Amino acid sequence: MAKRDTSCSEETGMTWQVRANCQHFHKPLGRKSFLCFRWGRYADNLVRSYKYSPLTFLPLTLYEQFQRAANFFFLLIVVMQCVPLIATLPWYITMLPLLTVLIMRGAKDLLTDLGRRRSDAKINRRPCDILTTQGFTAAQWKDVCVGDILRIHKDQVIPADLLLLCSTEPHSLCYVETADIDGETNLKFRQAPAITHDELTSGPIEELLLPFDGVVWCEEPNGRLYLFRGELHWRGQSHLLDIEHMLLRGTVLRNTDTVYGLVIYTGSDSKILRNCGSLKVKKTWMERFLNKVVVTIVVCLLTVALLLAVGCGLFEHWVGSKIEVLAAIRGSYSPAYRGFLNFWGYIILLSPAMPISLYITFELIHVVHCLQIGWDIKMYWEENEKPAQARTTSLNEELGQVGHLLSDKTGTLTQNRLIFRQCCIAGHIYGDITAKTKPLDLSWNRFSCGGLQFSDQRLVDRLLQRNCPETLEFFTALALCHTVMSEWKDGLPRYQAASPDEEALVCAARELGWVFLSRTRDSLTVSELGFTLHYHLLAVLDFSSKRRRMSVLVRTPDGGLKLYCKGADVIILERLRKGSPHQESTEQALEAFAQSCLRTLCVAVRCVSEAQWMEWSHALSQAAMATTHRETMLEEVYEQMEKELTMLGVTAIEDRLQEGVPETISSLRQAGVKVWVLTGDKTETAVNVGYACKLMDPDTRLLQGEELRQLLQSPTTEVSFHKDKESLVWSTDKMSQKSKAAIVVDGFELAELTKTPEMGGRFVALSNQCQSVLCCRVTPAQKAEVVELVKKNSSSVTMAIGDGANDVNMIKTAHIGVGLCGVEGGQAVQNADFALAQFSFLRRLLLVHGRWSYRRICSFLRYFLYKTTCFALVHIWYSLYNGFSAQPMYESWFIALYTVMYTSLPVQCLGIFEQDISAESSLNRPELYRVGQKQELFNPLILCGTLLYSIYTSIILFFIPVGVLQSLDLDYQTLAVTVEMSAVFSATLEIILQTRFWTKYNCAAVLFSLVVFFLSSVILHSPRLFTSFPNDYIFFGASLNAFANPVVWLTAILTTCTAVLPSFTVQALSVVLAKNNKHKIHSSKEPVELKSWFNRGVPHRRSSYAMSQGKGFGKLMTLGMGVRSTTPSLEGRVTPATSLH
Amino acid sequence: MMASSYTAKEEDGHHSGSAAAGGPGSSKSKKPDNTAFKQQRLPAWQPILTAGTVLPAFFVIGLIFIPIGIGLFVTSNNIREFEIDYTGVDTNSPCNRCSQTYSWNISCTCSVPFSLEQPFESNVFMYYGLSNFYQNHRRYVKSRDDSQLNGDKSSLTNPSKECEPYRISEKKPIAPCGAIANSLFNDTLELYYIYPNGSRTLIPLVKKGIAWWTDKHVKFRNPPGNNDNLTITFQDTTKPVNWHKPVYELDPNDPDNNGFINEDFIVWMRTAALPTFRKLYRIIQKNKDNMTPTLPRGNYSLEIAYNYPVRSFDGRKRMILSTISWMGGKNPFLGIAYITVGSVCFFLGVVLLIIHHKYGNRNNNADIPN
Repeated sequence: MAKRDTSCSEETGMTWQVRANCQHFHKPLGRKSFLCFRWGRYADNLVRSYKYSPLTFLPLTLYEQFQRAANFFFLLIVVMQCVPLIATLPWYITMLPLLTVLIMRGAKDLLTDLGRRRSDAKINRRPCDILTTQGFTAAQWKDVCVGDILRIHKDQVIPADLLLLCSTEPHSLCYVETADIDGETNLKFRQAPAITHDELTSGPIEELLLPFDGVVWCEEPNGRLYLFRGELHWRGQSHLLDIEHMLLRGTVLRNTDTVYGLVIYTGSDSKILRNCGSLKVKKTWMERFLNKVVVTIVVCLLTVALLLAVGCGLFEHWVGSKIEVLAAIRGSYSPAYRGFLNFWGYIILLSPAMPISLYITFELIHVVHCLQIGWDIKMYWEENEKPAQARTTSLNEELGQVGHLLSDKTGTLTQNRLIFRQCCIAGHIYGDITAKTKPLDLSWNRFSCGGLQFSDQRLVDRLLQRNCPETLEFFTALALCHTVMSEWKDGLPRYQAASPDEEALVCAARELGWVFLSRTRDSLTVSELGFTLHYHLLAVLDFSSKRRRMSVLVRTPDGGLKLYCKGADVIILERLRKGSPHQESTEQALEAFAQSCLRTLCVAVRCVSEAQWMEWSHALSQAAMATTHRETMLEEVYEQMEKELTMLGVTAIEDRLQEGVPETISSLRQAGVKVWVLTGDKTETAVNVGYACKLMDPDTRLLQGEELRQLLQSPTTEVSFHKDKESLVWSTDKMSQKSKAAIVVDGFELAELTKTPEMGGRFVALSNQCQSVLCCRVTPAQKAEVVELVKKNSSSVTMAIGDGANDVNMIKTAHIGVGLCGVEGGQAVQNADFALAQFSFLRRLLLVHGRWSYRRICSFLRYFLYKTTCFALVHIWYSLYNGFSAQPMYESWFIALYTVMYTSLPVQCLGIFEQDISAESSLNRPELYRVGQKQELFNPLILCGTLLYSIYTSIILFFIPVGVLQSLDLDYQTLAVTVEMSAVFSATLEIILQTRFWTKYNCAAVLFSLVVFFLSSVILHSPRLFTSFPNDYIFFGASLNAFANPVVWLTAILTTCTAVLPSFTVQALSVVLAKNNKHKIHSSKEPVELKSWFNRGVPHRRSSYAMSQGKGFGKLMTLGMGVRSTTPSLEGRVTPATSLH
Repeated sequence: MMASSYTAKEEDGHHSGSAAAGGPGSSKSKKPDNTAFKQQRLPAWQPILTAGTVLPAFFVIGLIFIPIGIGLFVTSNNIREFEIDYTGVDTNSPCNRCSQTYSWNISCTCSVPFSLEQPFESNVFMYYGLSNFYQNHRRYVKSRDDSQLNGDKSSLTNPSKECEPYRISEKKPIAPCGAIANSLFNDTLELYYIYPNGSRTLIPLVKKGIAWWTDKHVKFRNPPGNNDNLTITFQDTTKPVNWHKPVYELDPNDPDNNGFINEDFIVWMRTAALPTFRKLYRIIQKNKDNMTPTLPRGNYSLEIAYNYPVRSFDGRKRMILSTISWMGGKNPFLGIAYITVGSVCFFLGVVLLIIHHKYGNRNNNADIPN
């Protein structure tokens, strides 16, 4: 048997074998690892996201760090310094900064790794029940092995990929929430294979499970979330398994008391972990640019070293050989060889120009910026106690450069909470969206659960008086026409719906007295104002996105046949019978609702005669039995029934936006950020939300469908979008309106329109001219493709924001991913670079933190490059005077301490505290954000300016002291101290000029740097050190003599002032040229005033019916599954026809 | 000088209050602290640059620098300095014959006459200057053993490797070792005043007090032992190759100026920064009575014991006489540089002022970098 299994499984690719209750089979095959070697077949269920073990930490961290070019370069320098022939500087000079960098970096890695270990342990310690010979025993996730049988209770998270064996529900159905996997919040059902259900539920479950010895052959572990192929071999028979039988790790069991499952894949084999892929390390533009800069510096350095080496060779040949002393110490080497040696010597000498501590300081500043984001109390959300969180610590400055914001809709822009706000029945509008009245007294209704945000006593009065038949009929329709399932909890009905709209409507009906109690396959029980009524359910005309409506056909308790229908307004209005009353007032109501950005549904009824029903049910069963084109035939049949409707009323549901979304979006638009909304929702819903959240103004023109296609395919688009406006689409529009357009496109169109890279480029070019872009019905993968498209076709920084697992792709692809830690699972946050609690915090994150970060980091980088290069380049000039012998200009200790001690703190303070304008002003003036988008503060031009400036400074630093000293009898060491002093002073003065926000820390840092310079000069040149190590501290006495010499001071002051004069002049020039508007920003203290964008133009009626992407539970309803009812003996697949009598 | 707005955003005092209000559970709350530091509301001084504050800065810098420069320049000009090149490149110069011989050890004397047009008051410093002598060459600078010079006994007999090839000679360690010591400037200069009647008198030259105090007393020390008899202390060593006499005979009359602590030696060992340099040689102290100038105007004769060869590398040897002030010797560069930079600042201020008046008010929207 086993042999046959193996052979058959090899043919089908099913090579993964799982034996139930058979630990001794799986255990020996457990996967083990040592260092980087792995063997064994079955992974255990431990999550190991940590990287280091105590043994591997040191080698691994060193290996990782030396992969960085800069670190490796410095390692080489250190090695070179150990060669006496070329050692122009002692080895510890480079070793000191390098060690600092390595230790800090290693400590940081260690800390993050410990954090990962902690979070791993938390997951691994989650409880679950494993079947052992003693029955189900409590265990932890990490104990779960392949082949175990688990018991999962309601609301527990599934610990591994399980094969559902049976559940406590009828038919061994169970419901799972897959929010962590695909982001959809509606429930999905899973069903056990018929065979296990039948066999295992026939008696006490534990006793039956213990001897269960089924063997599962299935595919090797893979990341396909929607596909599973396997076979269950049990008792000599094999049964096919597919994804419907699987409970995936990470999903949550809902609405089901208990399920029993067989573990198929554990830990790293499970589908979700296979799927999450490796985390891409994101690099900012700045970092890549910086790397290029570093490479350029290295190349320049090598070139200069080469030139100087040539100079050395020539000097040795022409001059050196004539000076007896120099010729003698040259030894037996030829001038050329001396030049060669000096080449390496110069590389060592000039290496301080390579900003090694730049990277570590850069990182430090990033980390502090991230902390500042987390500390911001204005981005802290009280309700779920979530502060903002920066999960990636290297992207801060890109927050100040975002050009494209790609946002998810559901849960990001909207709260994903639909609220019944208004309705219109028989031409009367009930409810008021603006007024805040006290909630209704619903104590008369024993089924009321609260939560109704509707307060119109007139409606309640009218219902209780029962004097308006249309009102009663309207609520009967709401209570009957849906596919909601009810569940009883604490004596109150709770509803599970595939569509949040339906849930909102049914709940509203419940609160107002029309309580949907329960359903069976063919009946609905409703309590109407306390009277329990049974309706016979004849047919469910299910929703589809094409039909945009759904209906139920019921037999009322008094014997009549009624069709209740609800759907989008356009659809319903055209199916009304002629002379239907209240049509005009209803349309007015629709417009009124649309103005308030409410989502509307029309509710209608039709009385059906017995004859019509007989005839139609015949047609229906015919259509249902059809083998081909069944869907279209069914639609046609449905169409025949849904006509001659009588309008009952209109519901208005608020798809509540998250707080501050419209203000945030309008603010970001002013800041020049292009906002794209990518949603899986339908076009109508998306457009509706687009208007509501001010993504589009009421008079914005929508470019969609054919129009868009023409615009994109017209050959002139490529040249200029503006040219088109005369000829093609824009002929009617005036110049002022050209930006008043928004692109609306759905997933299929999008795929078609961006088939080729060229077309994609056009699409992005067009979109850049428009206000915004709405992409509807896009899949998670497509979201990522859109991000990729934007990234490829525009130079701007993209930011993706979303809250669900379906946004993970997009979040990972974008330059910056933001996750909202909302109601849905944490998948988005786990993969995001930044986590926020509210969409509106984005405004502060970008306009305040992003802008500040960008400015700070730009200032920091400019200054850092300036101070390191200007100090190191002095050696080049000195070479001209010392025979190209690579004699350092400075004392070696100074070279080591200059970047680490004397000039590092002030620039760190600048990078941490600098504010050009206050947070309030930043929010008030979003247009200031554009500076970052255009990369105005750090670009190749600025960089060249900075480098030229540092060359100038180095020239001044060298030649003024030399000029002074050449006519005096001062020695080399005095010159060195003078130049050192000037260099430290210049660097400090430059940072003083750059700093515009003087906190006490800045002042302290500047003072500290200067004090440390003098103190360490005195200490390093002190007699104690000299007498202990005469050959190392040769500068003994130099600084004492130099500091006592007024000429040295006068020289240093003159040099410093001259060195920073250009910087000061440029600042003065910009001050003189710019009108003094900064002053106003500084002094503006008034709170941020949000400009109201609520000027309503021509209202557009927006009606929609939002369903989840799936088809809903309609089919399941009519199949009678999952409904505790008369025990239906349904086996296998039952055609709809049979269930519909 | 600069307008400022001190935005003292006071720290919120609610920090402790809010934590207390949260109740016992709030200790775990993730709510960030409402402190000025964490909320980036630190009180800070924000200098606001305006044309009204920046432009005066240029003039102020100019107005400070130019007087300083003038002061320095005047001071420098008041210093008398006399320089004479005695290398003997010219065939008819007195030292031409001596300069021909390329040797360290053959002594040759020559005398160079010169006349001072103006008297030199107060103390006069006498320097020797060398040109094209790369005393700042890296391998040259390194070629010494400070440990040995500091009197370390073991370094005396076993000098540092850095001293190669001047480390061991005749199988004995060289003291002082290294190229710097080996190339010690060994010309002897003497100065005679020639009275109008033709007779001449030797001007007394003080040879102590020319080195740094720290060098003389700490950095350079003779090896421990009998201070009066350095010969024994240095008995296991040999003299540098180019030297006429061993180190313990540099100034045999004055034990305080002999051996490693000989001041001429110390001055030489403090290497120069540039290939053309001057070093202090002697001090001519002012007359006790203070009535007559130290060096009256008239004719002088510089007697040179010409030992130091420089012709091979086109070097020059000079003798410089200079009075001194608080800023050392004559140094016109510093004053001129101050005046120049001050003028540039002043000029920039004027240019910016013009720009400000012409364009300042129109160009409103230029964003201010930094």
